[in-house]
Amino acid sequence: MAKVELLNLSKNYPGRKTPVLDQFSLTVDSGELVSLLGPSGSGKSTLLRLITGIEYPDSGDILFDGKSILSIPPNKRGAVLMFQKAYLFPFLSVEENIGFGLKVQGATKQTIQIEVAKILDLIGLPGIERRKPAHLSGGEQQRVSLARALIVRPTLLLLDEPLSSLDTAVRQNLQEAIRRIQHELGITAILVTHDLGEAMGMSDRMALLLEGKVAAIDEPMKLFQKPPSSQVAKFVGIDTFLKGRVNHGTLETQHGNLTVRTNGFVSDSATFAIRPEHIEVGSELAENILTGVVKDCMYRGEYVEYQIQIDTMVVRARVAMPAAMIPHGEVIKVAFPAEHLFPLTA
Amino acid sequence: MKKILNAAIRFFLYLVLIAPLLLFGVYAFSERWFFPDVLPSTWSTAPFLRLFSDPKTVGGLLTSIGIALVVSLFSLIVAFPAARTLGLRRFPGRQFAWLLFFLPTVVPPLAVGMGMNILFLRLDLAGSFVGVILSHLVPTLPYTIFTLSGLFANYDENYEYQAIVLGASKRRTFFNVTLRLVFPGLIVAGLFAFLISWSQYLLTLLIGGGKVLTLPMLLFSAVSGGNPSTIAALSLLFIAPPVLVIALTARQLNQHGNAIKEQY
Repeated sequence: MAKVELLNLSKNYPGRKTPVLDQFSLTVDSGELVSLLGPSGSGKSTLLRLITGIEYPDSGDILFDGKSILSIPPNKRGAVLMFQKAYLFPFLSVEENIGFGLKVQGATKQTIQIEVAKILDLIGLPGIERRKPAHLSGGEQQRVSLARALIVRPTLLLLDEPLSSLDTAVRQNLQEAIRRIQHELGITAILVTHDLGEAMGMSDRMALLLEGKVAAIDEPMKLFQKPPSSQVAKFVGIDTFLKGRVNHGTLETQHGNLTVRTNGFVSDSATFAIRPEHIEVGSELAENILTGVVKDCMYRGEYVEYQIQIDTMVVRARVAMPAAMIPHGEVIKVAFPAEHLFPLTA
Repeated sequence: MKKILNAAIRFFLYLVLIAPLLLFGVYAFSERWFFPDVLPSTWSTAPFLRLFSDPKTVGGLLTSIGIALVVSLFSLIVAFPAARTLGLRRFPGRQFAWLLFFLPTVVPPLAVGMGMNILFLRLDLAGSFVGVILSHLVPTLPYTIFTLSGLFANYDENYEYQAIVLGASKRRTFFNVTLRLVFPGLIVAGLFAFLISWSQYLLTLLIGGGKVLTLPMLLFSAVSGGNPSTIAALSLLFIAPPVLVIALTARQLNQHGNAIKEQY
């Protein structure tokens, strides 16, 4: 329950050309859950190790509520890390595992018993105190691991892909549980994941990490619908980019002219993007259209995905629950609604 | 057919392993046993009683146990950090370190013993318990390091990190997490060291110089002396502690090992 500030953190390992983290800065408000999203090797896990104190940054500072914690040893920081694997101590019972942090602090047996029972209720596994970790399922193990982290009332909860080894149903269930408990207890948390859906569903804000830096940070909805740069756009699944000259609300591309909302801005080479879900496909469309040929279509259940060739460009469009599919090879109109076309800054 | 062959091989192995022990047993409890008889004509516990009333034998037994215990403890203390580093880290010179640790198993013990003898004479350690214990560490360390490093190759340090971020001090993490995770391996490695030290004759003779009398020393002189009953009784005494220790720890070791295996 603290405001966490990471200031210009850098970390490099011997033998590596580019630093894992390069002047990395991020602020997480009290009670907020921020997720860090990025390809593997983008420094996500390293960052968590720096915050817990398992590793030390080359430069920069980490502040909890305005105070530097770099000189505090890892076991006194109050930043608890939960790993991809549960790491329950195999020789201890569930109760002893969860109570580990309290016992270390010198809590009495009675207090531990009461607190463990309370937290087992919270994670939805009451009455399993006496069991051994080996007799729990993967999902249950992760829940116990979460309980063990929460029982010490961490200043900051760090989650390092805690759900990536679980199957989809268990995973969704746990995502909801973590989100609910984090809200209830008002814990500041940082979640590392490479799953876009998980990041969007669980976090207040999400940060995209690329090459050791924050490429973008915003609310999930904003990043998903209007990413600021083409790099970020690609990461959230946008691959239609229209380049051209912008003049009086018209984007003049090599494929044809499109109306865009520009608030009067003029540029010789602007790039506009649009989400595949916002592109419309059909024969009766009239506004803001280009004509193309259906190259491929794929039925995905919730939507149909078309690959449409417009001159040299291939556009991916997702149409939600259509009544019929447009066959391969058909000439079709593709509409780019002006309200969904947005400019990229970089 | 395969079953029969299996049983035959089993029976043969048991026979080879147990027959000498049985023979020792029969010898050790025989009073009179002359040629045409299949079994001794008179049975007696006299050889054993004689053994236990002899202060030299009792002293030898205690000396052997004491030395073997101290040697296994020291072996573990020295081998632990070495094995942990070799098992968990990759660093330049790692292969060389391995080679260095394994040299004692390659170099003839006599060469090592003679060299140490001269060195220990200069250091005034020859003929002392400390000297014998140090010399026993030479053949035990390669085995303890090897056993423990195998353990650490499958070890996950994140268990320790998890304990630390939950608030445990380094000390507590070491005793309550690390040691408990590797405990079965520690016992196995300790047993190895114990057995190697227990059956050590040459180094004890060279460094102890006849002043440190362990069971193997007594056994050797008894064998050259020639009373079969005494030799048999002494041999049984020599075999008993290791067999006892292994029998006692095997069960518990198995359970503990399985519990950890399930986690991985």
